[in-house]
Amino acid sequence: MSDPILRIERLTKTYPDGTRALSDVSFEIARGEFLVIIGLSGSGKSTLLRCINRLIEPSSGRIEFQGRDITTASREELRVIRRQIGMVFQQFNLVKRMSVLTNVLTGRLGYTPPVWALADYFSAPLVDRALANLNRVGIPEKAYTRADALSGGQQQRVGIARALMQEPQLILADEPVASLDPAMSHSVLRYIEELNRNDGITVLCSLHFLSLARRYGTRILALKGGEIVFDGLPAEIDEARFKSIYGDDAVAVEIT
Amino acid sequence: MPGAKTLGGTPAAPPLARGTVRRPVAWYRSWRFYLVALATLAVYVYGWQVTQIRLAELWRGAHLIAPFVTSLASPDVAVRANVLARAEAPFYYGRETPPAAASASGPLLHLSRSTGAIGQQVTAVGEGFPPGRPGQLWWENQIGQRQQLGPLRTDERGRFTATFTAPEVLGTRNLVFVEVVASVGPLRPSPTLLLVLDRMVETVFLALMGTTMGVLFAVPFSFLGAKNLTEHFPGGKAVYGLTRAFFNVARSIEALVLAIVFTVWVGLGPFAGVLALGVHSIASLGKLYSEAIESIDGGPIEAIVATGASTLQVVRYGVVPQIIPQFIAFTIYRWDINVRFSTVIGFVGGGGIGFVLQQYINLLQWRQAATALWMIAIVVMLLDYASAVVRERIV
Repeated sequence: MSDPILRIERLTKTYPDGTRALSDVSFEIARGEFLVIIGLSGSGKSTLLRCINRLIEPSSGRIEFQGRDITTASREELRVIRRQIGMVFQQFNLVKRMSVLTNVLTGRLGYTPPVWALADYFSAPLVDRALANLNRVGIPEKAYTRADALSGGQQQRVGIARALMQEPQLILADEPVASLDPAMSHSVLRYIEELNRNDGITVLCSLHFLSLARRYGTRILALKGGEIVFDGLPAEIDEARFKSIYGDDAVAVEIT
Repeated sequence: MPGAKTLGGTPAAPPLARGTVRRPVAWYRSWRFYLVALATLAVYVYGWQVTQIRLAELWRGAHLIAPFVTSLASPDVAVRANVLARAEAPFYYGRETPPAAASASGPLLHLSRSTGAIGQQVTAVGEGFPPGRPGQLWWENQIGQRQQLGPLRTDERGRFTATFTAPEVLGTRNLVFVEVVASVGPLRPSPTLLLVLDRMVETVFLALMGTTMGVLFAVPFSFLGAKNLTEHFPGGKAVYGLTRAFFNVARSIEALVLAIVFTVWVGLGPFAGVLALGVHSIASLGKLYSEAIESIDGGPIEAIVATGASTLQVVRYGVVPQIIPQFIAFTIYRWDINVRFSTVIGFVGGGGIGFVLQQYINLLQWRQAATALWMIAIVVMLLDYASAVVRERIV
């Protein structure tokens, strides 16, 4: 691995109520990887992803993004770091009452002068790029539809287009398909995979289903109780490892 | 054994184990029920006495309010601008003799005497009036105060004769005059209607200005009074607490009380009403707005923060689109309340239609009061309907 895009060292997060969501998590991601994080609900997947762009403040540890420490970044530095890291959410997190196009354009807010927001102004080249990105995720005709009029799969594709506006080096995907049906899940993950392969965007994606993790991940990281219990290639997860990650009662559900 | 069930009974339940939950006691067997019933009765008996409810008064006082109720059916909205034929003649008390009237063309009024004392019988004869018309004989004293002496009707030659008693008035130089309706003019809006209309416009704009003032101040305050926006900033909790305390204190003071305070401050008139409605609206809207902000979905905000957006951008694209419809709905709702309220704010001198309504009622001018009441009812209903339509469109 040459020059990791993201290096996490001894990351720990303890919530104010005393819950220890992450303890001493350390790993690196190489440029171009599709790293899938698996684990039960509450194992710390979401906390880990949100610590990386500091939507959640880590309690201790270091997070280096392209050699810069995120945890000590000032407000302005953080803004510059965040705009290079796209994020896709389980609940899509679109602004429901705005048009699809405006939702996509919000992906560019990290680059535009804040005062433009008062006039709701986006330059023409940006609008063109937003339309191009919508075209890329296959829903150009929905540009002027209200976001909440779209199906779940379409909304998630808007979420991807929004992340694309950031021209990100890294995409954090927090259970991007957990709210979608199986067919839609594959459609959405294929778009993310395409960004990973063609654009060279590194992907850090948490998933529920092991079958999806095996299919799309180039590497898998398993969390359990806030600690890394597995870090390796998809093929290395056998029955014994599966039980150790998900508990003895778990049964693998295939999603095809 | 379902077949073994006896009438009114249930199959024997399995014996309850020790420590399990007991069956609930039927309400009519619970002493608590009777205690609560007794307490409730006591409360209402005392309430009846303390508020001096005497239903018989409704019947006994009915004749006092009857003219008002009948006036509701005939509000003072239109008058006929009649063409009058007029003639006058002086009548002096004491020994003074009035100057001889200049001989005028047209109708004439002759009095049987032009000098006399209070209580004397005087005969008035008129000629040259339109024939077969109703008229009125008037008495005007030295300082221009008028009183009616009696109705009359001209004969087919345009003459009339009327007798009256010289009334008890101050001053000596009086004027007797007669007005005969020469022709009935077209229906015109009555002066009352015009005044009421003018006050209603003032009322509606009073509500508009009050609501606008409320919105202008409530919007920025509501952001300070929203927990989810303030808690991330240093000192945010204190700001939140103070803002909420202000909302609660200002809201607990009725706008009518505020209006009295403001009439002392800025004087009688609609401006005091605007300030009273404004301050009350700031508090009410501020609280509603803050709660709307607190109930927004955190997901889109998280997503926009993650793109590297600044606070201003997050508010513009994450917060504002989510709260706009609710803000508009609350504002229309408040404007609604304010229009209704501005109709009574005049009672304490805060301007608007309430001021004239109160005057009409105090002077027992029921037909005029009815005009004002109908005006209020119609305008409030119209605005109510309009706001319902707008709210339905938006939300």
